[in-house]
Amino acid sequence: MSATLTLGARSLREALRQPDALFMTMFIPIFFLVVNTGQAAEIFPSETTDFLEGQGYGAFQLPITLLLAASFGMASLFLVEEIEGGYFDKLRAMPIPRYSMVLGRLVAEGAKGVVIASVIVLLALPFGIEIASGPLGFVLIVLLSTLWGVVYAGFMQLIALKTRSAAAVNSGGLIFFPLLFLTPNFVPRELLTRPMEIAATVNPVTYLMEALRSLILTDLDWGKILPGFAVVGAMGVIMLLLNVRMIKSYD
Amino acid sequence: MGQPAVRAAGLVKHYESGNDAVEAVRGVDLEVQPGEIFGFLGPNGAGKSTTVRMLTTLLTITDGSAEVAGIDVAADPEGVRKRIGVALQEAGLDPRQTGRELLTLHGRLFGFDAATATARTEELLELVELEDAADRVTKGYSGGMQRRLDLAAALVHEPEVLFLDEPTTGLDPASRLTVWEELRRINGQGTTIFLTTQYLEEADQLCDRLAIIDDGRIVREGTPAALKAELSERRGGAEVSLDDVFLDATGRTRDRAAGEVQEVGA
Repeated sequence: MSATLTLGARSLREALRQPDALFMTMFIPIFFLVVNTGQAAEIFPSETTDFLEGQGYGAFQLPITLLLAASFGMASLFLVEEIEGGYFDKLRAMPIPRYSMVLGRLVAEGAKGVVIASVIVLLALPFGIEIASGPLGFVLIVLLSTLWGVVYAGFMQLIALKTRSAAAVNSGGLIFFPLLFLTPNFVPRELLTRPMEIAATVNPVTYLMEALRSLILTDLDWGKILPGFAVVGAMGVIMLLLNVRMIKSYD
Repeated sequence: MGQPAVRAAGLVKHYESGNDAVEAVRGVDLEVQPGEIFGFLGPNGAGKSTTVRMLTTLLTITDGSAEVAGIDVAADPEGVRKRIGVALQEAGLDPRQTGRELLTLHGRLFGFDAATATARTEELLELVELEDAADRVTKGYSGGMQRRLDLAAALVHEPEVLFLDEPTTGLDPASRLTVWEELRRINGQGTTIFLTTQYLEEADQLCDRLAIIDDGRIVREGTPAALKAELSERRGGAEVSLDDVFLDATGRTRDRAAGEVQEVGA
């Protein structure tokens, strides 16, 4: 475990030395929050839109912002750079548990994720967005967003290890966008057309979004929250197993 | 004679390339004794780096066996990694860490506590004369500085066997001499050194014994003096250099070898 934390601290230092990357991670999702809310807030006024639970449309959009921000990690690009530069081989020739080589960067992604999710939610509060589930809900929002960021970064890392190519990692990142839009991102699932509803139902990101949304709009609703954590947990286990397998057979 | 520091028997590496299998190493047998500086020479693509990467656990072994510091590479790679230091062809450094951070990180990854890692870092920085640049990120280091830091990183845990893959390629003559001095000093402390190089003068100056690999097979092995004496005898007592031994062993002409060197330079 100490190797994981040591490598995590290194990755965090690495991220802090690229503050411009952190800025873009925050800026793009907030930009989408402002634009989407500005475009649709008039269509869905809070007074007459039941699914907003008395809040503005910005509160409904906040989960997308959080998931998008959590998906902008740079870990896999730094990993490709390290593979190309030869430092990854240097690490592989050291007696470090292979799982630590996977988890080191993900620990740093987690630490960054906590800060980014907290800042986004806190920035949203002055604009009338409330966390209806209270302080515990705030913690769960940050935790779920962060865990998603870690899992997503893990899958990107898998692409980096397999392809050893920055271009492939960037293309892999684009996979998330269809997944984000095959969700009830603008209206609840029951208001989607039937084909979109089916697509959203089989899309795991839907359950994360619904868990986050319930934490923002309503009191603690474990029927919505637990599926979100279950999805991220299951995907996390798959991601970790695939990464360790990949790194062990890396030639 | 005790247990060899490095032993390879029938070492083979095949790569899949599309539908073809590339035979990079075709059955290498070698033994390196503890405390030796062993030179591993060969033309480009002969299998030097592939052999080193198998011995250092970075590549799987297709066939044959290898032991480093008495430990089977395939059966206990973790055990091997604890006992070896590795500096590969390109100085593999983390471009966003400072020299000091990188050495401390390596100390911590080898299990040192914070105080020991810090103390070892200072020792190594002094050893490779990088104290003044220690707090700069390695991205800004010159080629020679990167090589020296890479060497220091490979020495953090005082390895029993140090693998160096072309450690002086691309260095200016002064930096090359500094690395040679350093290698002699490290070897003087008992570390076995397994060195690949394209510079025959380097092999002649540094190595106790050497092997020449060509097309994935060892074609000559012995001390530099013995290899030269054998060729001289075959040529009726003519004076020969290690270059002549290399050319004779690999079947290359001076023109062809020069062409290969030019390719490397490009």
